Amino acid sequence: MAGLVPPGTTTIPADASKAAHTKAEEKTDYMNLPCPIPFEELHREALMSLKPETFEGLRFDFTKGLNQKFSLSHSVFMGPTELPSQSAETIKIPTAHYEFGANFIDPNLMLIGRMLTDGRLNARVKWDLTDNLSVKANAQLTNEPHMSHGMVNFDYKGKDYRSQLQIGNGSLFGASYIQSVTPHLSLAGEIFWTGQHLKSGIGYAARYETDKMVAAGQVASTGMVALSYVQKVSEKVSLASDFMYNYMIGDVTASVGYDYILRQCRLRGKIDSNGCTAAYLEERLNMGLNFILSAEIDHKKKDYKFGFGLTVG
Amino acid sequence: MSSFGQGKKRGSGANNDDVGIMARLSRAVSNSPITDATKRAANDAAYVSKKLLKSTGKAAWFAGTTFLILVVPLIIEMDREQQFNELELQQRSLLGSSPPLSPPK
Repeated sequence: MAGLVPPGTTTIPADASKAAHTKAEEKTDYMNLPCPIPFEELHREALMSLKPETFEGLRFDFTKGLNQKFSLSHSVFMGPTELPSQSAETIKIPTAHYEFGANFIDPNLMLIGRMLTDGRLNARVKWDLTDNLSVKANAQLTNEPHMSHGMVNFDYKGKDYRSQLQIGNGSLFGASYIQSVTPHLSLAGEIFWTGQHLKSGIGYAARYETDKMVAAGQVASTGMVALSYVQKVSEKVSLASDFMYNYMIGDVTASVGYDYILRQCRLRGKIDSNGCTAAYLEERLNMGLNFILSAEIDHKKKDYKFGFGLTVG
Repeated sequence: MSSFGQGKKRGSGANNDDVGIMARLSRAVSNSPITDATKRAANDAAYVSKKLLKSTGKAAWFAGTTFLILVVPLIIEMDREQQFNELELQQRSLLGSSPPLSPPK
Protein backbone atom coordinates (compact mmCIF):
# COMPACT_ATOMS: atom_id res chain seq x y z
CA MET A 1 0.00 0.00 0.00
CA ALA A 2 2.81 2.39 0.88
CA GLY A 3 4.44 1.87 -2.50
CA LEU A 4 1.27 2.92 -4.26
CA VAL A 5 0.97 6.17 -2.31
CA PRO A 6 2.64 9.03 -4.23
CA PRO A 7 5.54 10.73 -2.39
CA GLY A 8 3.70 14.04 -2.08
CA THR A 9 1.10 12.53 0.23
CA THR A 10 3.43 10.76 2.65
CA THR A 11 3.01 13.60 5.16
CA ILE A 12 -0.77 13.26 5.20
CA PRO A 13 -1.07 10.35 7.62
CA ALA A 14 1.02 12.20 10.23
CA ASP A 15 -1.05 15.37 9.79
CA ALA A 16 -4.26 13.39 9.94
CA SER A 17 -3.29 11.89 13.28
CA LYS A 18 -2.35 15.32 14.65
CA ALA A 19 -5.66 16.76 13.42
CA ALA A 20 -7.49 13.86 15.01
CA HIS A 21 -5.80 14.64 18.33
CA THR A 22 -6.73 18.32 18.28
CA LYS A 23 -10.24 17.44 17.18
CA ALA A 24 -10.59 15.19 20.18
CA GLU A 25 -9.54 18.06 22.47
CA GLU A 26 -11.87 20.51 20.75
CA LYS A 27 -14.79 18.12 20.65
CA THR A 28 -17.35 19.79 22.78
CA ASP A 29 -18.48 17.99 25.86
CA TYR A 30 -22.18 18.70 25.75
CA MET A 31 -22.59 17.53 29.29
CA ASN A 32 -20.22 20.13 30.66
CA LEU A 33 -21.33 23.41 29.13
CA PRO A 34 -20.61 26.64 31.00
CA CYS A 35 -23.37 28.41 32.87
CA PRO A 36 -24.81 31.25 30.84
CA ILE A 37 -25.09 34.85 32.03
CA PRO A 38 -28.42 36.01 33.45
CA PHE A 39 -31.07 37.00 30.93
CA GLU A 40 -31.19 40.67 31.92
CA GLU A 41 -27.46 40.94 31.24
CA LEU A 42 -27.75 39.75 27.68
CA HIS A 43 -26.58 43.00 26.16
CA ARG A 44 -24.26 43.78 29.07
CA GLU A 45 -21.08 44.51 27.15
CA ALA A 46 -22.86 46.60 24.56
CA LEU A 47 -24.76 48.60 27.16
CA MET A 48 -21.55 49.34 29.05
CA SER A 49 -20.13 51.16 26.04
CA LEU A 50 -23.26 52.51 24.48
CA LYS A 51 -25.29 53.63 27.45
CA PRO A 52 -23.00 55.38 29.88
CA GLU A 53 -24.76 57.01 32.82
CA THR A 54 -24.59 60.56 31.59
CA PHE A 55 -25.95 63.23 33.87
CA GLU A 56 -26.27 66.99 33.88
CA GLY A 57 -24.96 69.14 36.68
CA LEU A 58 -22.78 68.43 39.67
CA ARG A 59 -22.54 65.04 41.29
CA PHE A 60 -20.59 64.19 44.39
CA ASP A 61 -20.47 60.71 45.95
CA PHE A 62 -18.74 59.82 49.14
CA THR A 63 -18.65 56.24 50.40
CA LYS A 64 -17.23 55.49 53.80
CA GLY A 65 -16.71 51.96 54.96
CA LEU A 66 -17.32 51.46 58.64
CA ASN A 67 -16.72 47.76 58.71
CA GLN A 68 -15.73 45.05 56.31
CA LYS A 69 -19.36 44.51 55.44
CA PHE A 70 -21.08 47.77 56.25
CA SER A 71 -20.65 51.16 54.56
CA LEU A 72 -22.44 54.46 54.43
CA SER A 73 -22.70 56.74 51.46
CA HIS A 74 -23.46 60.43 51.09
CA SER A 75 -24.29 61.89 47.74
CA VAL A 76 -25.11 65.40 46.53
CA PHE A 77 -26.63 66.24 43.19
CA MET A 78 -27.34 69.71 41.82
CA GLY A 79 -28.52 70.29 38.32
CA PRO A 80 -31.44 70.48 35.93
CA THR A 81 -33.71 67.47 35.75
CA GLU A 82 -35.73 66.75 32.67
CA LEU A 83 -39.48 66.48 33.00
CA PRO A 84 -41.25 64.11 30.66
CA SER A 85 -43.26 66.33 28.36
CA GLN A 86 -45.57 65.45 25.52
CA SER A 87 -44.35 68.20 23.20
CA ALA A 88 -41.04 68.15 21.41
CA GLU A 89 -39.66 70.78 23.81
CA THR A 90 -37.54 69.53 26.68
CA ILE A 91 -38.53 71.05 29.99
CA LYS A 92 -35.79 71.21 32.57
CA ILE A 93 -36.21 72.17 36.18
CA PRO A 94 -33.20 72.84 38.42
CA THR A 95 -33.21 70.45 41.32
CA ALA A 96 -30.83 69.65 44.12
CA HIS A 97 -30.93 66.77 46.51
CA TYR A 98 -28.87 64.95 49.08
CA GLU A 99 -28.98 61.19 49.27
CA PHE A 100 -28.02 59.13 52.27
CA GLY A 101 -27.34 55.46 51.79
CA ALA A 102 -26.34 52.41 53.75
CA ASN A 103 -24.92 49.18 52.30
CA PHE A 104 -24.49 45.84 53.94
CA ILE A 105 -22.56 43.37 51.80
CA ASP A 106 -22.11 39.76 52.84
CA PRO A 107 -21.22 36.84 50.57
CA ASN A 108 -24.81 35.62 50.82
CA LEU A 109 -26.78 38.73 51.58
CA MET A 110 -26.64 42.21 50.16
CA LEU A 111 -28.79 45.06 51.45
CA ILE A 112 -28.72 48.52 49.91
CA GLY A 113 -30.87 51.43 50.95
CA ARG A 114 -30.97 55.01 49.75
CA MET A 115 -33.00 57.88 51.16
CA LEU A 116 -33.33 61.14 49.23
CA THR A 117 -34.29 64.58 50.48
CA ASP A 118 -37.17 64.78 48.02
CA GLY A 119 -38.90 61.97 49.85
CA ARG A 120 -37.90 58.98 47.75
CA LEU A 121 -36.62 55.73 49.20
CA ASN A 122 -34.82 53.05 47.18
CA ALA A 123 -34.15 49.64 48.63
CA ARG A 124 -32.48 46.58 47.11
CA VAL A 125 -32.05 43.15 48.60
CA LYS A 126 -30.15 40.21 47.15
CA TRP A 127 -30.23 37.02 49.15
CA ASP A 128 -28.51 33.79 48.09
CA LEU A 129 -30.55 31.14 49.81
CA THR A 130 -28.52 28.25 48.49
CA ASP A 131 -25.82 27.90 45.86
CA ASN A 132 -28.40 27.79 43.14
CA LEU A 133 -31.38 29.75 44.35
CA SER A 134 -31.28 33.47 44.97
CA VAL A 135 -33.94 36.04 45.71
CA LYS A 136 -33.68 39.65 44.61
CA ALA A 137 -36.06 42.42 45.53
CA ASN A 138 -36.10 46.13 44.84
CA ALA A 139 -38.53 48.81 45.83
CA GLN A 140 -38.90 52.50 45.17
CA LEU A 141 -41.23 54.41 47.47
CA THR A 142 -42.27 58.00 46.84
CA ASN A 143 -44.47 60.57 48.45
CA GLU A 144 -46.67 60.86 45.41
CA PRO A 145 -49.52 58.36 45.35
CA HIS A 146 -49.44 55.57 42.77
CA MET A 147 -45.80 56.21 41.92
CA SER A 148 -44.24 53.61 44.21
CA HIS A 149 -43.28 50.26 42.82
CA GLY A 150 -41.55 47.11 43.90
CA MET A 151 -40.37 43.92 42.28
CA VAL A 152 -39.24 40.49 43.47
CA ASN A 153 -37.13 38.07 41.40
CA PHE A 154 -36.52 34.42 42.09
CA ASP A 155 -33.48 33.05 40.24
CA TYR A 156 -32.60 29.41 39.90
CA LYS A 157 -29.20 28.56 38.45
CA GLY A 158 -28.73 25.09 37.03
CA LYS A 159 -25.61 23.47 35.57
CA ASP A 160 -25.92 25.06 32.17
CA TYR A 161 -29.14 27.03 32.42
CA ARG A 162 -30.72 29.80 34.41
CA SER A 163 -34.36 30.51 35.03
CA GLN A 164 -35.99 33.51 36.62
CA LEU A 165 -39.44 34.37 37.89
CA GLN A 166 -40.35 38.01 38.35
CA ILE A 167 -43.29 39.42 40.28
CA GLY A 168 -43.92 43.15 40.41
CA ASN A 169 -46.56 45.34 41.91
CA GLY A 170 -49.36 46.37 39.62
CA SER A 171 -49.64 42.62 38.89
CA LEU A 172 -46.62 42.31 36.65
CA PHE A 173 -45.43 38.76 36.07
CA GLY A 174 -42.46 37.66 34.05
CA ALA A 175 -40.43 34.52 33.55
CA SER A 176 -37.27 33.90 31.59
CA TYR A 177 -35.08 30.94 30.79
CA ILE A 178 -31.61 30.87 29.25
CA GLN A 179 -29.73 27.72 28.24
CA SER A 180 -26.21 27.12 26.97
CA VAL A 181 -26.40 25.18 23.75
CA THR A 182 -22.72 25.09 22.82
CA PRO A 183 -19.71 26.48 24.73
CA HIS A 184 -20.19 29.76 22.88
CA LEU A 185 -23.89 29.98 22.08
CA SER A 186 -26.78 30.35 24.48
CA LEU A 187 -30.47 30.73 23.71
CA ALA A 188 -33.14 32.27 25.85
CA GLY A 189 -36.85 32.91 25.99
CA GLU A 190 -39.04 35.09 28.14
CA ILE A 191 -42.73 35.76 28.70
CA PHE A 192 -44.39 38.54 30.63
CA TRP A 193 -47.86 39.66 31.54
CA THR A 194 -49.04 42.96 32.99
CA GLY A 195 -52.36 43.16 34.74
CA GLN A 196 -52.62 46.92 34.69
CA HIS A 197 -52.46 47.42 30.95
CA LEU A 198 -53.56 43.84 30.18
CA LYS A 199 -50.58 43.27 27.92
CA SER A 200 -48.64 40.08 27.50
CA GLY A 201 -45.66 39.28 25.42
CA ILE A 202 -43.13 36.66 24.55
CA GLY A 203 -39.58 37.12 23.46
CA TYR A 204 -36.56 35.14 22.28
CA ALA A 205 -32.90 35.92 22.52
CA ALA A 206 -29.59 34.43 21.47
CA ARG A 207 -26.05 35.25 22.50
CA TYR A 208 -22.83 34.09 20.91
CA GLU A 209 -19.62 34.93 22.67
CA THR A 210 -15.97 34.15 22.17
CA ASP A 211 -12.86 35.64 23.72
CA LYS A 212 -12.78 38.44 21.22
CA MET A 213 -16.39 39.26 20.51
CA VAL A 214 -19.93 39.04 21.78
CA ALA A 215 -22.98 39.10 19.54
CA ALA A 216 -26.48 39.15 20.97
CA GLY A 217 -29.91 39.41 19.44
CA GLN A 218 -33.34 39.76 20.96
CA VAL A 219 -36.84 39.74 19.49
CA ALA A 220 -40.02 40.42 21.44
CA SER A 221 -43.67 40.34 20.53
CA THR A 222 -44.00 43.97 21.66
CA GLY A 223 -42.35 44.74 18.34
CA MET A 224 -38.82 45.20 19.55
CA VAL A 225 -35.83 43.78 17.72
CA ALA A 226 -32.45 44.50 19.29
CA LEU A 227 -29.11 43.32 17.95
CA SER A 228 -25.74 44.15 19.40
CA TYR A 229 -22.16 43.33 18.60
CA VAL A 230 -19.07 44.04 20.70
CA GLN A 231 -15.54 43.42 19.50
CA LYS A 232 -12.63 43.44 21.88
CA VAL A 233 -9.94 44.99 19.75
CA SER A 234 -7.25 44.80 22.42
CA GLU A 235 -7.25 44.40 26.17
CA LYS A 236 -7.69 48.14 26.58
CA VAL A 237 -10.10 48.93 23.76
CA SER A 238 -13.45 47.53 22.80
CA LEU A 239 -15.83 48.73 20.14
CA ALA A 240 -19.57 48.17 20.25
CA SER A 241 -22.46 48.67 17.89
CA ASP A 242 -26.15 48.32 18.42
CA PHE A 243 -29.27 48.22 16.28
CA MET A 244 -32.76 48.64 17.66
CA TYR A 245 -35.91 48.40 15.59
CA ASN A 246 -39.52 48.52 16.66
CA TYR A 247 -41.62 46.98 13.94
CA MET A 248 -44.89 48.15 15.41
CA ILE A 249 -43.92 51.81 15.51
CA GLY A 250 -41.30 51.78 12.78
CA ASP A 251 -38.67 53.40 14.94
CA VAL A 252 -35.07 52.56 14.05
CA THR A 253 -31.93 53.45 15.95
CA ALA A 254 -28.37 52.40 15.30
CA SER A 255 -25.43 53.42 17.41
CA VAL A 256 -21.69 52.89 17.49
CA GLY A 257 -19.45 53.37 20.47
CA TYR A 258 -16.05 52.74 21.99
CA ASP A 259 -14.77 51.90 25.44
CA TYR A 260 -11.16 52.63 26.32
CA ILE A 261 -9.97 51.24 29.64
CA LEU A 262 -6.60 52.82 30.32
CA ARG A 263 -4.66 52.71 33.53
CA GLN A 264 -5.59 56.11 34.79
CA CYS A 265 -8.98 56.53 33.21
CA ARG A 266 -11.93 54.97 31.48
CA LEU A 267 -13.36 56.75 28.48
CA ARG A 268 -16.60 55.81 26.75
CA GLY A 269 -18.07 57.50 23.72
CA LYS A 270 -20.94 56.81 21.38
CA ILE A 271 -22.72 58.30 18.40
CA ASP A 272 -26.27 57.59 17.40
CA SER A 273 -28.33 57.66 14.25
CA ASN A 274 -30.68 60.12 15.98
CA GLY A 275 -27.88 62.67 15.92
CA CYS A 276 -27.03 62.16 19.57
CA THR A 277 -23.44 61.80 20.78
CA ALA A 278 -22.37 61.11 24.33
CA ALA A 279 -19.08 60.74 26.14
CA TYR A 280 -18.25 59.70 29.68
CA LEU A 281 -14.84 60.00 31.28
CA GLU A 282 -13.83 58.61 34.64
CA GLU A 283 -10.36 59.66 35.65
CA ARG A 284 -8.49 58.38 38.65
CA LEU A 285 -6.88 61.36 40.31
CA ASN A 286 -5.65 59.52 43.34
CA MET A 287 -6.30 56.31 45.23
CA GLY A 288 -10.05 56.14 45.72
CA LEU A 289 -10.63 59.56 44.14
CA ASN A 290 -12.33 59.60 40.76
CA PHE A 291 -13.17 62.59 38.64
CA ILE A 292 -16.13 62.19 36.29
CA LEU A 293 -16.99 64.22 33.20
CA SER A 294 -20.10 63.53 31.20
CA ALA A 295 -21.30 65.11 27.97
CA GLU A 296 -24.34 64.47 25.83
CA ILE A 297 -25.20 66.45 22.72
CA ASP A 298 -28.49 65.89 20.91
CA HIS A 299 -28.23 67.74 17.62
CA LYS A 300 -31.77 67.02 16.54
CA LYS A 301 -33.50 68.30 19.65
CA LYS A 302 -30.75 70.85 20.32
CA ASP A 303 -30.41 69.58 23.87
CA TYR A 304 -26.96 69.86 25.45
CA LYS A 305 -26.13 68.21 28.75
CA PHE A 306 -22.80 68.50 30.49
CA GLY A 307 -21.97 67.28 33.93
CA PHE A 308 -19.01 66.87 36.21
CA GLY A 309 -18.55 65.07 39.45
CA LEU A 310 -16.29 63.57 42.01
CA THR A 311 -16.46 60.12 43.57
CA VAL A 312 -14.63 59.38 46.77
CA GLY A 313 -14.27 55.88 48.11
CA MET B 1 -16.63 127.26 -30.38
CA SER B 2 -20.13 127.40 -31.43
CA SER B 3 -19.34 124.89 -34.12
CA PHE B 4 -17.79 122.74 -31.41
CA GLY B 5 -20.95 122.74 -29.39
CA GLN B 6 -22.93 122.30 -32.55
CA GLY B 7 -20.83 119.32 -33.40
CA LYS B 8 -21.67 117.76 -30.13
CA LYS B 9 -25.28 118.48 -30.48
CA ARG B 10 -25.14 117.25 -33.99
CA GLY B 11 -23.59 114.04 -32.72
CA SER B 12 -26.42 113.33 -30.39
CA GLY B 13 -29.10 114.82 -32.57
CA ALA B 14 -27.93 112.97 -35.65
CA ASN B 15 -30.69 110.38 -35.14
CA ASN B 16 -33.19 112.81 -33.77
CA ASP B 17 -36.13 110.80 -34.96
CA ASP B 18 -35.23 107.95 -32.60
CA VAL B 19 -34.42 107.97 -28.86
CA GLY B 20 -30.65 107.96 -29.14
CA ILE B 21 -28.09 105.43 -30.15
CA MET B 22 -26.77 104.72 -26.67
CA ALA B 23 -30.24 104.27 -25.18
CA ARG B 24 -31.26 102.06 -28.09
CA LEU B 25 -28.16 99.93 -27.72
CA SER B 26 -28.52 99.48 -24.00
CA ARG B 27 -32.21 98.69 -24.35
CA ALA B 28 -31.43 96.10 -27.01
CA VAL B 29 -28.92 94.47 -24.75
CA SER B 30 -31.10 94.44 -21.65
CA ASN B 31 -34.21 93.16 -23.38
CA SER B 32 -32.54 90.30 -25.24
CA PRO B 33 -33.28 86.71 -24.29
CA ILE B 34 -29.64 86.09 -23.64
CA THR B 35 -29.65 88.59 -20.79
CA ASP B 36 -32.75 87.00 -19.34
CA ALA B 37 -31.15 83.61 -19.36
CA THR B 38 -27.99 84.99 -17.77
CA LYS B 39 -30.00 86.72 -15.05
CA ARG B 40 -31.89 83.54 -14.27
CA ALA B 41 -28.67 81.54 -14.16
CA ALA B 42 -27.08 84.08 -11.85
CA ASN B 43 -30.08 83.93 -9.50
CA ASP B 44 -30.00 80.17 -9.43
CA ALA B 45 -26.28 80.15 -8.79
CA ALA B 46 -26.70 82.58 -5.91
CA TYR B 47 -29.51 80.50 -4.38
CA VAL B 48 -27.59 77.25 -4.68
CA SER B 49 -24.41 78.71 -3.29
CA LYS B 50 -26.29 80.20 -0.32
CA LYS B 51 -27.87 76.83 0.44
CA LEU B 52 -24.52 75.09 0.04
CA LEU B 53 -22.86 77.53 2.39
CA LYS B 54 -25.58 77.05 4.98
CA SER B 55 -25.45 73.27 4.81
CA THR B 56 -21.66 73.27 4.87
CA GLY B 57 -21.87 75.47 7.93
CA LYS B 58 -24.29 73.09 9.59
CA ALA B 59 -22.18 70.07 8.70
CA ALA B 60 -19.06 71.81 9.98
CA TRP B 61 -20.79 72.59 13.28
CA PHE B 62 -22.01 69.03 13.65
CA ALA B 63 -18.63 67.54 12.80
CA GLY B 64 -16.76 70.02 14.96
CA THR B 65 -18.76 69.53 18.13
CA THR B 66 -18.87 65.76 17.72
CA PHE B 67 -15.11 65.69 17.21
CA LEU B 68 -14.67 67.82 20.32
CA ILE B 69 -16.75 65.49 22.44
CA LEU B 70 -15.57 62.15 21.12
CA VAL B 71 -12.02 62.54 19.92
CA VAL B 72 -10.32 65.27 21.94
CA PRO B 73 -10.56 63.53 25.35
CA LEU B 74 -9.34 60.36 23.69
CA ILE B 75 -6.26 62.07 22.28
CA ILE B 76 -5.52 63.72 25.62
CA GLU B 77 -5.88 60.48 27.54
CA MET B 78 -3.82 58.45 25.10
CA ASP B 79 -1.08 61.05 25.28
CA ARG B 80 -1.10 60.91 29.07
CA GLU B 81 -1.00 57.13 28.99
CA GLN B 82 1.99 57.22 26.71
CA GLN B 83 3.76 59.72 28.97
CA PHE B 84 2.99 57.57 32.00
CA ASN B 85 4.36 54.51 30.23
CA GLU B 86 7.56 56.30 29.26
CA LEU B 87 8.04 57.53 32.79
CA GLU B 88 7.53 54.06 34.16
CA LEU B 89 9.93 52.58 31.64
CA GLN B 90 12.50 55.19 32.52
CA GLN B 91 12.09 54.58 36.23
CA ARG B 92 12.26 50.85 35.78
CA SER B 93 15.43 51.04 33.72
CA LEU B 94 16.91 53.47 36.26
CA LEU B 95 16.15 51.19 39.18
CA GLY B 96 17.24 48.11 37.32
CA SER B 97 20.60 49.35 36.09
CA SER B 98 21.90 51.22 39.15
CA PRO B 99 23.29 49.09 42.02
CA PRO B 100 21.63 49.51 45.44
CA LEU B 101 23.15 52.48 47.24
CA SER B 102 24.51 51.80 50.73
CA PRO B 103 24.04 54.52 53.34
CA PRO B 104 27.23 56.45 54.10
CA LYS B 105 28.74 55.43 57.42
